[in-house]
Amino acid sequence: MTSSNAISPLSTPLSLIAEVTHRCPLHCLYCSNPLEMQRAETELSTEDWRRVFHQAAQMGVLHLHLTGGEPLARRDLPELIRAGRDAGLYVNMITSGVGMTEERLATLVESGLEHLQLSFQDLEETSANHIAGTRAHAIKLALVPVLKRFHLAFTINLVVHRMNLDRLAEFIALAEDLHPDRLEIAHVQYYGWALKNRSLLMPTQEQVERSIPIVEAAKERLKGKIHVEAVFPDYFGSFPKACVGGWGRQMMLIDPAGQALPCHSAAIIPGMTFDNVRDHDLAWIWQSSSAFQRFRGDDWMSPTCLSCPRKERDFGGCRCQAFLMTGDPNAIDPVCSLSPHHDLLKDLRISDPEVLPIWRD
Amino acid sequence: MELNSIPRLAPGCRLHPTESVLLIPEGTLNLTGPTREILRMLDGKRNVTDVVTDLLQQFEGADAVEVQRDVLGLLDRLQQRGVVRT
Repeated sequence: MTSSNAISPLSTPLSLIAEVTHRCPLHCLYCSNPLEMQRAETELSTEDWRRVFHQAAQMGVLHLHLTGGEPLARRDLPELIRAGRDAGLYVNMITSGVGMTEERLATLVESGLEHLQLSFQDLEETSANHIAGTRAHAIKLALVPVLKRFHLAFTINLVVHRMNLDRLAEFIALAEDLHPDRLEIAHVQYYGWALKNRSLLMPTQEQVERSIPIVEAAKERLKGKIHVEAVFPDYFGSFPKACVGGWGRQMMLIDPAGQALPCHSAAIIPGMTFDNVRDHDLAWIWQSSSAFQRFRGDDWMSPTCLSCPRKERDFGGCRCQAFLMTGDPNAIDPVCSLSPHHDLLKDLRISDPEVLPIWRD
Repeated sequence: MELNSIPRLAPGCRLHPTESVLLIPEGTLNLTGPTREILRMLDGKRNVTDVVTDLLQQFEGADAVEVQRDVLGLLDRLQQRGVVRT
């Protein structure tokens, strides 16, 4: 069944997320990595990644995001950056900063690193370290003046939730003092470890409402100085997010062992099988692998989504979330007010400051 | 942005080698008209007047006042977006 305003079945991916390792010195309560992490001995080799980056660039991918885990855990990180640049990709790295030195950073920049993202867990050290599950806050703060010595775009990511949202204005002020080029203010998304800690991290309605004008004011105040982007907590919305820009439409994620996924948490959906870059060319995976085909286009959609004019904006929302909340990955994302399950969110929005935190292994 | 400002692309921003696209952190900006040509001239040495002079040589018969206004407007917008610095 295809409607007249069908979503184009095959587009070109724009970004490649390379999870080069799941090893990480941090154990953040909100980590979006899967609960079953890939072990070090299964990780792709430098040569594997080099081949993947070339295939990605051939397909039209523009941005490479090196992430993990902590990319610094890979000793061949400079080679990986160089391989990305040689392929013609824009190279971004998402790091905790733990393990970075000025010498190491100089090598990474020399190898072609163009953008570095550093997240902060809170503005106050004890709380930040509690959320990160390790003593990382002071290391991050100390790294910033070092970063500023290099020709490199620098983004600060503030991850917000119940435990720090009451201090958002001060949290933004801390980030502002560190003079990043970009500032992302991102509510936790409830997948992976964050889902395990959902009731602990879930903000209250009042907190969310108070945060909106603070973010808007920061955007206005910092215009021309720091580019601010904000991710709204979708549990409090009436329309779903266009998760990963639509399934199999804009991005590919390669996990440390070489499995190609349409999104971070796709493995939670029953019946998914992922092809591996060790066995297949990236273009073949993009076009033909069952994982990327599964929710591409609109054939899978419920009649409500299929006839909805918003389907070309949100692509039916998040498949993982639909499955996690309803047990049916084809269901309307319950964030949508048109979902028969929309009321579920009322219960899931309940925060419980008393539950014990579960840190990532 | 002033006529004697020396604009340059911000760190982490560069032109795509072949397409009319500016690669920026977490995204791209599609460049229309002569924008790519203008950004290509931002070498950290040329000021806005130099860029306008160059453009007037390339586009014979173009109105100098209009070109100057358009270039200043474009660079101001890109500065607001954080992809051009002075």
